[in-house]
Amino acid sequence: MALSLLYYAQEFLRGEWAKKFLAAKTAPLVTPPHFRNYPELTGKTCTHQLICMMACPAPGAIDVVMTPEGWKPRIHIGHCIRCGLCVEACPNGVLTSGRILESMFYDNTKLSFSFRIDVDTEKCMGCGNCAVACPVNKLIDAQMSHGGRASTDDLLLKVSEGKCHVLHVEKCTGCKTCENHCPNEAIRVARLLEAIHSPEEEL
Amino acid sequence: MTLLQSLKNIVRSKSIHVAYVDVGSCNGCDIEVLACLAPRYDIEQYGIYVHNNPREADVLLVIGAYTPGWEEKLQSLWQKIPDPKVAIAIGNCPISGCLFNRPHTLVDPPVSKHIPIAAQVPGCPPRPTEILSAILSVAPTVFKDFEVRK
Ligand code: SF4
Ligand code: SF4
Ligand code: SF4
Ligand code: SF4
Repeated sequence: MALSLLYYAQEFLRGEWAKKFLAAKTAPLVTPPHFRNYPELTGKTCTHQLICMMACPAPGAIDVVMTPEGWKPRIHIGHCIRCGLCVEACPNGVLTSGRILESMFYDNTKLSFSFRIDVDTEKCMGCGNCAVACPVNKLIDAQMSHGGRASTDDLLLKVSEGKCHVLHVEKCTGCKTCENHCPNEAIRVARLLEAIHSPEEEL
Repeated sequence: MTLLQSLKNIVRSKSIHVAYVDVGSCNGCDIEVLACLAPRYDIEQYGIYVHNNPREADVLLVIGAYTPGWEEKLQSLWQKIPDPKVAIAIGNCPISGCLFNRPHTLVDPPVSKHIPIAAQVPGCPPRPTEILSAILSVAPTVFKDFEVRK
């Protein structure tokens, strides 16, 4: 009798069972390798084209800073939404996250940017702040006068007849300087981001 | 430490009650909190119970970028929670306002301006595992030996 009780106790009152009963059954799930976490640096050289910042949809999530080893993108946790667009947009492969770079390579995709500039002619007063502030305009006509009037038509933005006119939207780099300098919120820059399946021969 | 206190600590660590409040989110983080309840993550096996009553909560999960409608409500909700209590910010929204924090919007992040936040789980949205481990890591420091500390 005592022997069989002992046998049962030994068989069923195992520490392992008690532990399993009291503690969690499964450990918290591990993060799978394809999870797109915060982008990390691959160690490739950043050329400070700021395309990552242009692609990023989250305010304050990424900036590119000068470090002793050169320019480096910096991700701000708490702002970054882990969308991975900066990883896809970078032409130099400086950033990596999950399997984005691999799948871009296999699917042969890349991101293409274009910008649309809308000037609200109701609000625009023709002050020319936008045209003077625009860094692309600055390269074309460094002497551009106050007021945004200029002789050449190669400019991106130009003021004529008291209104701002967009002449060459394809030259816009999407910096939004104009938007920040307009006193009347008349000019808006929209970014159009397209994932394109580049044709095989382009590789 | 008395035997009674160690018994209390054990019981406390196995019974963490969570309430969550959405102060203006896109609902993404709310769904991740709900996913914690589902069998895949099964938050109850760790002794964490989610039910939305601040009066019996220990942990408040704050989700969302703080819209003006919450001006007095969040404070009074926080005061309704009995001590010991802790608030955890879930997602980017209560930390930085995430995508909503743009000029001409009404959101007023971070939520730590309005109630004390003990831990932040960044991500848009964070993974359920990240939420789970944040609750588990914050709980011992807040609830262990609470009576003795006081
Ligand atoms: S992952 Fe998305 S949100 Fe985060 S820095 Fe890159 S582009 Fe911005
Ligand atoms: S967003 Fe385009 S138009 Fe505006 S300042 Fe920058 S480059 Fe010029
Ligand atoms: S800065 Fe604004 S108001 Fe002035 S010309 Fe440009 S769009 Fe018009
Ligand atoms: S952090 Fe992202 S997912 Fe969570 S509520 Fe805010 S916007 Fe939605």
